[in-house]
Amino acid sequence: MAFLEKSQWVVLVVAVATLAAYGTWTLTQALSKPVAEIDWVQPMIYSIVAFVVLNVVGNVIAAATNPNEADKSDQRDKEINAFGERVGNYLIIAGACVALVLTMVAADRFWIGNAIYFAGILGSLGASVTKIAAYHGPFQKW
Amino acid sequence: MVKPTHVTNSIRTLRFANGEMTQADLADRVGVTRQTIIAIEQRKYSPSLEMAFQIARVFNVRLDEVFQYPDEQG
Repeated sequence: MAFLEKSQWVVLVVAVATLAAYGTWTLTQALSKPVAEIDWVQPMIYSIVAFVVLNVVGNVIAAATNPNEADKSDQRDKEINAFGERVGNYLIIAGACVALVLTMVAADRFWIGNAIYFAGILGSLGASVTKIAAYHGPFQKW
Repeated sequence: MVKPTHVTNSIRTLRFANGEMTQADLADRVGVTRQTIIAIEQRKYSPSLEMAFQIARVFNVRLDEVFQYPDEQG
């Protein structure tokens, strides 16, 4: 398995785990109180920090399992990476548009903050799933 | 993006004709990962023209002896 693919599996697992943890925490509270009273800021910060730290740790472990492959990437890796990032960027832009609309209609800051958060996480998820799919199926940049 | 390439290749045959060269050996000589050689062999990825020439050079054959583009596109 190419290092970039391993790296994408790390992103995928970490994104799902942090999203599940934050989502569970937020939804549990949303069921019992109004959204304006939900304690979401600190959990979101923890979630973002955990996402970054776990990705770094995961990539270090992935590199340590096969150090010779860790610094190797070729034209196909670069093309797959660029394609996946483009898909991720579309998702982030879509999420940013949702956040913009929420701001325009003066929605509670809970919704705006979470729209931006989910855009970022879904962007990462979309990019990693696209790259993993490209590694396993036919891939042409044109 | 998801269709297999129409470009066919004889890399597998050429590897065996060249002392049963492994995919890893070919990858090292071309300067790509083994996964890329596997993807090219399985027609999941079309290499750039430059990479195609590098592969042909390893086998010391013409480009069209490694890669073919049949008239009938299925």
